[in-house]
Amino acid sequence: MTAHRILIVDDELDFGTTLAERLELRGFAAKAVGGAQEAMEALAADWRPDVVLLDLMMPGVDGLATLDLIKQHDPKIQVIILTGHGSTESGIIGMQRGLFDYLMKPVDIGELIARINEAGAQ
Amino acid sequence: MSKTKFPLFCGPSNRDLSPKARYRCMRNSLLIVMLAITLIPLSITSGLNFIQYQQLLREDSQANARWNAESARATINAYLEKLEAAITVVIDTYSFEDLSDTRKLEQIFRQLKKEHQGLVDLSVVGPDGIQSGYVGPYGLAGKDYSDSLWFHKALTRRMYVSEVFTGFRNVPHFVVATSQKDPYSEQYWVLRASIDTETLDRFLALADTEALEDIFLINDSGVLQSGSRYHGGAMQDFQLTRKPKQNDILIYEETRGDSNFYRAVSRIPNTPWLLVLDQQGAEARKIWHVFKDRLLLTLVLCFLASGGMVVWLSRFLAGKFREADETRDAILSETEHSNKLASIGRLAAGVAHEINNPLAIIGEKAGLMQDLVGLDQDFRHKEKFLSQLDALQNAVVRARTITHRLLGFARRMETSLTLVQLNEILQEVLSFLEKDAAYRNIHVILQLQENLPVIRADHGQLQQVFLNVINNAIDAIRNDGEIHITSRRENHKTVMVAISDTGPGIAPEILKNIFEPFFTTKGNEEKKGTGLGLSITYGLVQKLGGKIEVSSEVGVGTTFIITFPVYNEGSEGESNDRA
Repeated sequence: MTAHRILIVDDELDFGTTLAERLELRGFAAKAVGGAQEAMEALAADWRPDVVLLDLMMPGVDGLATLDLIKQHDPKIQVIILTGHGSTESGIIGMQRGLFDYLMKPVDIGELIARINEAGAQ
Repeated sequence: MSKTKFPLFCGPSNRDLSPKARYRCMRNSLLIVMLAITLIPLSITSGLNFIQYQQLLREDSQANARWNAESARATINAYLEKLEAAITVVIDTYSFEDLSDTRKLEQIFRQLKKEHQGLVDLSVVGPDGIQSGYVGPYGLAGKDYSDSLWFHKALTRRMYVSEVFTGFRNVPHFVVATSQKDPYSEQYWVLRASIDTETLDRFLALADTEALEDIFLINDSGVLQSGSRYHGGAMQDFQLTRKPKQNDILIYEETRGDSNFYRAVSRIPNTPWLLVLDQQGAEARKIWHVFKDRLLLTLVLCFLASGGMVVWLSRFLAGKFREADETRDAILSETEHSNKLASIGRLAAGVAHEINNPLAIIGEKAGLMQDLVGLDQDFRHKEKFLSQLDALQNAVVRARTITHRLLGFARRMETSLTLVQLNEILQEVLSFLEKDAAYRNIHVILQLQENLPVIRADHGQLQQVFLNVINNAIDAIRNDGEIHITSRRENHKTVMVAISDTGPGIAPEILKNIFEPFFTTKGNEEKKGTGLGLSITYGLVQKLGGKIEVSSEVGVGTTFIITFPVYNEGSEGESNDRA
């Protein structure tokens, strides 16, 4: 199994970079960005991730809108929402728009990796 | 209790009264208004009835008096006319000389006496006033009447009826006399018949009826011509206040002692007499007393009946107002309560969300440290460091559990209908209460049917329902007892949960009010109830389309049975396998 490329989109950069570092330690290629714009720049720079970990509540373009942008750019990229502001409604809306899964912060690294692998296998 | 505490009418100034006093004065106001509405027309109608009937009876009594007077007058008239006719026949048939013959006169007298009762004597008086013939008991033959008033009057008239007088015999009597001209001497002589006053009394007595107070004859000078019940015998004095003109019958009201009566006065034609008839007043008549008694009885019965109805109605209406107010208050309290819970829910959700982000950073940082320390073979205190980081991670997990639970609580505050399994809810609720139950040595015995069909309800509200009922059961038992919780499918439409306790039971009079808002029996204990628990429970069960019933026996225990409709997907087939 080849290591998946992971893009972490979260306005809490401290969280994103730490998580990216932990994922890299586990053999993933991970990159953390602070918002939708940077995420789209990363995608445009020909760094195509297999899985995007996306925060829901972000200043400017929020998680669900970012999800739409990613799916427009490349529908094959799998997106997992990872948020502290979870609600059943946003989960259901996300699923309808092609979301792969929905996880609540703080998340256990083992569980997260399991979901990333599932998503990456799609 | 002072009077000012429960004023009769409630106005704006009574706003600061206690609720009890307010309902009391509302009831009083209703009572007074309704009493006035019913009793005033009743009293007016009865009063009018009273006056009208009294008027009618008075008119009737007057008519009666008139009729009786007419009848008595006619009787006396008829007697006199008959006697006058007989005397006229005698005087026309016989001459003065014929009648001066005592034997002849006696023969005629005997004949007349047969037909005319009360006739005392018969006499013939010559033009000189000397009685030339006499038949009768007093031996008055030869008496001189030349100075007598009656003699002179008889001479001047064809027929004369005298007043009552005593005369030579000293016994009250009256005379009927007629005169005739002697063809030879061309002088008038007189034929006279005397009648005792008892005869008049007898005729007057014929007119006596139950309603008659007195009947007598009197002359214009106020001397009684017959016996009177109230004014003495003949020849006594009595003054009439009013007298009729000519032949009219005069009727007017008189008073004797306390009672009123009607007096009818009429002249008897061709006599010096006035007939006086006293008839009972309308108020003295038996029929009036009967009417008054019946009217009073009817009035009292109507007063009692409408009074009773009004008292009942005012209590009933005030009770209904009170109920409506209490229901409104209960709804307001319930809404306030739910609003409060919803606010707490929103607050909890906000806090949980805000905490989740820093918690995630802590978790990731600690995780990275664990990763790095774990990879570094030469790290000093590696074991101790890792165990510290583990503890940090455990704390994060604990905090996460709390925030997730808070979010779950917040979600339950919003009503959202989902498919729920009653047994799961019961287990959840029991997990909250089992410590309390165990502490009080209360055994909870479960008989939950497996594969119970799911129902469509709000998870949080169902929890609240069972929490309330089971909590009440624990409160009822207090210490040492059992709570049996049974769940089963009743039929293809409903599932039920029965919760029975071995508490002291509830008395029937309390049982009927148990679901009413603000009704509580926990007042005297240290754990004071709001009286809203079962009322809210009842409302929630109804809102979820269910039904809650209670049965209880004092000394045995209480059972609450809650039923819910089974969720049907489409028209057939329950979705029990989805539970």
